[in-house]
Amino acid sequence: MELITNNKLLSTIALAALQQVEDPEIGLNVVDLGLIYQLDFNEDTNQLFCSMTLTTQFCPMGASIRDSCEAGLQHAFPSYSIEVQLSFDPPWSADRISSAGRAFLDR
Amino acid sequence: MLQPSNSAPDRWHRSGEVLPFYLYAALSFLVGTGMLCWYSGDFLGHYFNPSLLAITHIMALGWGTMIILGASHQLVPVIIEAALYSRILAFSSFWLAAIGIPMLVYGFYRFDMGLPAKLGGTLILLAVLCFVINLACSINRSKTENIQAVFIFTAALWLLSTVAVGLVLVVNFSVTLLPANSVDYLSLHAHMGLVGWFLLLTIGVGSRLIPMFLISKFQHNPLLYWIYALINIGLIGFVLLFVYNGHVYLNYFPLLLILMAILLFVGFCYQSWRNRLRKSVDDPMKISLLSLILVAIPALLLVVVLILLIGLDSVPARLINLYGFLLFFGWLSSLILGMTFKTLTFIVWNKVYHSLLGKIKPPNPKDLYKNKVLQVMGYCFISGLLLFGLGIGFALPVLLRTGALLLLLTACLYNWNILYIMNHKATI
Repeated sequence: MELITNNKLLSTIALAALQQVEDPEIGLNVVDLGLIYQLDFNEDTNQLFCSMTLTTQFCPMGASIRDSCEAGLQHAFPSYSIEVQLSFDPPWSADRISSAGRAFLDR
Repeated sequence: MLQPSNSAPDRWHRSGEVLPFYLYAALSFLVGTGMLCWYSGDFLGHYFNPSLLAITHIMALGWGTMIILGASHQLVPVIIEAALYSRILAFSSFWLAAIGIPMLVYGFYRFDMGLPAKLGGTLILLAVLCFVINLACSINRSKTENIQAVFIFTAALWLLSTVAVGLVLVVNFSVTLLPANSVDYLSLHAHMGLVGWFLLLTIGVGSRLIPMFLISKFQHNPLLYWIYALINIGLIGFVLLFVYNGHVYLNYFPLLLILMAILLFVGFCYQSWRNRLRKSVDDPMKISLLSLILVAIPALLLVVVLILLIGLDSVPARLINLYGFLLFFGWLSSLILGMTFKTLTFIVWNKVYHSLLGKIKPPNPKDLYKNKVLQVMGYCFISGLLLFGLGIGFALPVLLRTGALLLLLTACLYNWNILYIMNHKATI
């Protein structure tokens, strides 16, 4: 699970917030599923850019998952302007699932 | 380089044009199984019978086609990554079919091919035409090309042909349009619909939904193109043999091609299953996957029918009835009974909770229906199917009645859960 970020400290807070957001079909949070690609912070302009993906481009819950991530990040960073963008290039791969996520799916 | 895309996922929000299809289909299933109870004894006679024709068309049009049309209006924009061309055409398609189907079924039930049947058939044809135009214009807008869209559009064209042939057959009862009696064309009409519409479409949509819901990364587009080619060549071959009075032996070739396509699709599903990331599989998926077994039984029956046709030059009517029953009440129904709870829940969930995201913690889509009711429904369905099938096979009315009652109970439980999902409200 690789995450691109320009601020490791703030990204830890962001990931903690995103761990509360689940893929409703799978029941696993978006961080352990490896859906988060990038978290960029601009502390001068108070902007947070998040690039994420979905397990499939045809995911029926896609818009809801994206909006839930946006709401979760807004809650964690109330003074920031949040932008969450979906990306399917590169596509999601099972290799991105964390070990905790794998244990959950193996149940 | 990360490439942004916000195209496809938003398309699950709109539900107004989809939910009426689901509700209509659920009620049709209830009426179909109710009639099955009332007229169960007719399954021991000839298939060209008012009640059997009425039940077949309720199941094929009211149940199977209506729910597939509804789900397609939701799925196609997601699959092709483009908005539905027209909501007006979607609503027109619903209302034309919703009015036309009962008229046609009434015509069959009364065995009166007069105005209601002709008008009903015409309205259904217009409904399918609206669907095909909407589909063609939506696909035309799409910048992406994918095999599922090809399957769906070809299936829609086969549906249009099936309905057009059906209307000609209805008119042919009173005005001579064809060289032979309408009854002689029933197998052509039925197989264009069963293979061209239902089989092609369920494989096309299933090849997207099954890996998605199993969370499987298995994809094999060349295999899907082979399946597509085998089904279409097989069906076109069957139509040509029918039109040009080919020898009955030759019908083995189309059958063989279509059986190969089914086997390849079963293999595709097996690979999806093997490569799934989530080990536990929920009950709706289990019911849907049961359809892969249930399609094999009528397919083998068809081989027996062809052997009998060659050897004896005639086939017992009960065998044909069993074949039709297993296709509509077995294969098609198991697929729909399962997939409804994977698609309708998402549609309603998005409708109810999308605007509340971040404000409340929503339940999971699987919490929108009662799983216990679904499980009992599944047991009733399997036992009802088995008993009714044995009832036809051994000509035992008591098994027919018990099986039909269990299938009616299946429909009641299904309708209950559908209404439970549709009436779901957010608790804040």
